[in-house]
Amino acid sequence: MRLRSIKTSWVMTTKELLRNRVALVLLIVIPTLFYVLIVLTTTDRIIAFKLASISETTLFEVSEQKESLVFIGLAAAGLIASFLALNFIQKHADVDRRLVLCGYRPSDLIVAKLAVLLCVTIFIGCYVAVMMLLFFVPQHFVLVVLGFTLGGYVYGCYGLLVGTIFKRELEGILCIVLLANIDAGWLQNPVYYLEAQNKMIIRFLPAYFPSQTSMVSAFTNHSTLNPLIGSLVYGSVLLLAALSIYWRRMKIKR
Amino acid sequence: MALNSQGRTILEVTHVAKSYGRQIVLKDVTFQIRSAEIVGIVGENGSGKSTLLKIIMGLLAPTAGEVTVRGSIGYCPQELQIFETLTVSENFYYFAEAYSQHQTIGYDKLKEVKESLLVRFRFQQYENTLAALLSEGTKRKLNLSIALLHSPDIFILDEPYSGFDWETYLHFWEYTKELRSQGKSILIVSHLVYDSSKIDKLFELTGGVLKCV
Repeated sequence: MRLRSIKTSWVMTTKELLRNRVALVLLIVIPTLFYVLIVLTTTDRIIAFKLASISETTLFEVSEQKESLVFIGLAAAGLIASFLALNFIQKHADVDRRLVLCGYRPSDLIVAKLAVLLCVTIFIGCYVAVMMLLFFVPQHFVLVVLGFTLGGYVYGCYGLLVGTIFKRELEGILCIVLLANIDAGWLQNPVYYLEAQNKMIIRFLPAYFPSQTSMVSAFTNHSTLNPLIGSLVYGSVLLLAALSIYWRRMKIKR
Repeated sequence: MALNSQGRTILEVTHVAKSYGRQIVLKDVTFQIRSAEIVGIVGENGSGKSTLLKIIMGLLAPTAGEVTVRGSIGYCPQELQIFETLTVSENFYYFAEAYSQHQTIGYDKLKEVKESLLVRFRFQQYENTLAALLSEGTKRKLNLSIALLHSPDIFILDEPYSGFDWETYLHFWEYTKELRSQGKSILIVSHLVYDSSKIDKLFELTGGVLKCV
């Protein structure tokens, strides 16, 4: 019975997503646009940067364009996943609550939404990474895909948390844009990190671990185990916080 | 008024109060609804109707008092609570899945009721149309039909006929009459009840206080 209700909710959520043509187009257009801007605004000059998860002293030298492509790929994956998560949790909050009043288990609804979100996050991670192959081949492509997917996971969970806290779209969008711009779109760039003050703050931001996973696997042969685990733990903490608020909001008080 | 006092109590609201800080919204609200009874609650905007309904539905916790429901509820909210990017049929299917979680009603029965509701409220031609593309009135019919889908013991309807044309309004009352004859109870909450003769008990909510009219 539970599997059937999860499946029904998964099918309906997927149908809703596929019928949102504008969102689907943006899903394809945003990473493309980000990559085009990087290609048009960067050169192949060699730049030096540090990767915090490896060493605070070792400098890596790669092409500015390649470094920027990995950086912006992660930002695109994170941004898209967080907006989709926000939409999933916030758009139909009232109708979902009606479903719960009618008998649906909140856990079944959220499991179905998470399953759809996971599928979309994996798709975005793969799509953004495959598109990067048009410009250069990273040293460990599969791990770069994983890094992008984890970026989507962490920011997707952040989007869920924001969506459960705020009832209105505007506040949610502002929270996502603000953090994603500062974190994934600026502070996690290893070039900035090289000269940054208070580096500890940067290490506590959501995109830190996924960013390290992608950068380390794209340009070095070092292990990505720590940033991989860090990404999973960070995302899961956000997810648990989101689920606890969702649970309280969906609970029938009778 | 045809009051049926023989039936069992389906809904019991006892000394319910609700306040937000110093703002008192409901004061000691007590009433009962028995089976085969149609009860109306009227009140102006801001009188506390929606708060009372939310407490009855379990969407809000009361500050004091309690609500006891003996049976299944069909709830039609005032706001449209339907999936706009799903078709009429998919909306029915999704809610049928919800109803089937805790009740013995099977899919075949739900499908049969769905067909009859589509015909009764005259929107069967939109069965495969996205809800977003429906007129406001047809969306209201869907909103109401979802509450009626699982043949519950009590229907709680918040401004159920706003947006209806005259013919649908008449069909609505005809349907409530049928439901009542089947032993179902109906609670209609509205800012105005035009046909008080069709209602067994009518209450007025003013300033958070419920009075029998």
